[in-house]
Amino acid sequence: MATQSESDDFLSEGSSSAQEAEEPEIEARVGWRYTLSQVKRDATAMAGLFVVGLMTLMATFSFVDAELFAFLAQFETFASVGVEKYWFAKHFWVSPIAEPQGSIQLLPPVGMENQFGAGTWAHPLGTDDRGRDILVRLVYGSRIAIEVGYISTAIGLVGGVLVGAIAGYYGGWTDDVLMRAAETLYAIPFLVLVLAFMAAFGRSLMFAMIGVGVASIPTFARLIRSRVVSVREEDYVEAAEAAGVRDRNIILRHVIPNSFAPVLVQGTLQVGYSILIVAGLSFLGFGVQPPTPSWGQMLSTSKDYMLQNVWFSIWPGLAILITVVGFNVFGDGLRDALDPRLKN
Amino acid sequence: MSEPLLEVEDLRTQFFTEDGVVRAVDGISFTVNEGEIVGLVGESGAGKSVAASSIMRLVEQPGEIVGGEIRFKGETIFGLEDVERDGDGPPEKVPRDDMLSNAEVRERIRGREIAIIFQDPMESLNPVFTVGGQLREFIEINRDLPENEARDLAVHMLREVGIPEAEERYDDYPHQFSGGMRQRVLIAMALACEPSLIIADEPTTALDVTVEGQILDLVDDLQGKYDTSFIWVTHDMGVVAEICDRVNVMYLGEIVEQADVDSLFHDTQHPYTKALLNSIPRPDQSVGELNPIAGVMPEAINPPSGCRFHTRCPEAREVCTRTHPGCREVGDGDGPHRAACLKHEGVFNAGYVESESIENKTTGGFDVGLTEEGEADD
Repeated sequence: MATQSESDDFLSEGSSSAQEAEEPEIEARVGWRYTLSQVKRDATAMAGLFVVGLMTLMATFSFVDAELFAFLAQFETFASVGVEKYWFAKHFWVSPIAEPQGSIQLLPPVGMENQFGAGTWAHPLGTDDRGRDILVRLVYGSRIAIEVGYISTAIGLVGGVLVGAIAGYYGGWTDDVLMRAAETLYAIPFLVLVLAFMAAFGRSLMFAMIGVGVASIPTFARLIRSRVVSVREEDYVEAAEAAGVRDRNIILRHVIPNSFAPVLVQGTLQVGYSILIVAGLSFLGFGVQPPTPSWGQMLSTSKDYMLQNVWFSIWPGLAILITVVGFNVFGDGLRDALDPRLKN
Repeated sequence: MSEPLLEVEDLRTQFFTEDGVVRAVDGISFTVNEGEIVGLVGESGAGKSVAASSIMRLVEQPGEIVGGEIRFKGETIFGLEDVERDGDGPPEKVPRDDMLSNAEVRERIRGREIAIIFQDPMESLNPVFTVGGQLREFIEINRDLPENEARDLAVHMLREVGIPEAEERYDDYPHQFSGGMRQRVLIAMALACEPSLIIADEPTTALDVTVEGQILDLVDDLQGKYDTSFIWVTHDMGVVAEICDRVNVMYLGEIVEQADVDSLFHDTQHPYTKALLNSIPRPDQSVGELNPIAGVMPEAINPPSGCRFHTRCPEAREVCTRTHPGCREVGDGDGPHRAACLKHEGVFNAGYVESESIENKTTGGFDVGLTEEGEADD
């Protein structure tokens, strides 16, 4: 009997979805909307997307409050109405950089206790070695991580796609020269390459980003080249050639868009990887300088206070972990959504 | 008679492969006049498509046009000249001064003057862009129109080739079109730039017969309207009869017969053409059984000596294995009719009549290779 009702359920479900399929609205099986609808069916990918979205939002907010307001404060019109760096944090929260008078150092989170005292709601995640609120520093530290992840990935993606597409489309000696150069870069360990880059140009965050970006060019170049080699043989590329379309437009409009899906996936994964690398650099003392908050540097400072307040280490570590995992599962979900063989 | 639109003379295109030089097109000559549909017929591998892409200078590595001349409207698309080098070596072939550069061919010839319709409508449209967008791009490039005018023209062309609700379908993607409709879009693309010549490379091969019929009618109508010349590459004699004015029959890189469509069908002069015609059902003749051409076409790397068709020819004689016939005027009717067969003794005078007939063991059918070996053992 139970089987009967189950099969009834199954049937009714089947027929209702069949009715949905008969809706006059034709659902395109290409394009952003379709890919997104595929991602939506995947719970882990959605969780990844949520993390990605949240982190991006947080980073945008702290970018506006830190960088944009600091920039605007240079102008009299804005400075006269009180715009300053960390304006929002100072007025509605606590400053992420100032060392507050009389605040207790190394406080644990709410509900915990250690030799310095009990956690309070004033500092939900506790305080660091200088008595600064950990939560606000985490939020403002997201800016560095996300900025670095996006910008360095953008550098690697644009550079890699151009190099790989040109190499794959023209073939011959162009291919040999470009890909051998890329593989030479590939042969050097990632971190060593970035450190060498920073040693040569400077220890600032900008060169960390550029270094990570340049170091990831070969990954993208190799990835897209393998697709371009097959796409360039497609009839529509030949048709475009026969219609007198310039090589540049053929590569940009016909070859790259049709080879882009794996690059998009790799790009998403690469953001997570770049965040990890730059956090590692910050830990080693390269990159953003104190007092500007960044996760890697928080982690680095906290290692000396682990016995007093272990939460000081756990929070930035967790932030890095969640962000990187978020980008990774989103990338995996995107790969599944873009792979036609996995569709059912 | 006025100057022909396109003149191809002694065109040779070869592919330099590891196994040797493939002589895909080996000295073909033909002309296309204004407003004419010229057929290029032959089995798979005869070199039809290579000939077609040679005209556009679209042959890709490892292929290369190594000889001959292509003239279009008085301009030289391809032409070589001999340059004597110091020393004893043979003269070197270099492009002539009046030959158009790559950029000139791309900007002035491709799309604008000569368009090409490819074989597979499923693959010839870019899947990531809308049909209308692609059509518009081609028009913008080749007609120098601003975007909105190009768009209007694109919609107009879609309507012209019989796409219903062209305005709405403009924003559809290629996968939302059927094969026949995509082929119509490709025809619209070719016609939209108002070229003088369209090379149709087996455009209806991938379609079923009903759609093929519709497309042929459409091309016939549009050809009358726009007065475009066509080179129609096909292996289908039925299509040839339906649409072409004149026909070139190709075998292994060579043209073996050249005639207007009526005399080709009713006054066939070459055994290969005859064999092709015998291997398809004809509504005007009832036959008990179709008679396919025995064997397969030999490799173009090592073409047979003498007449290239002698290995499969039912009328082959001993002389055919030695003497290679060029394509010569053989017709007695009106209009030129050229064929490359030694059996026209009056023209070739190679001693065909006295020569001994050779027994082609290939007359049996498809199992040729096997029986041949078996008999050799006996």
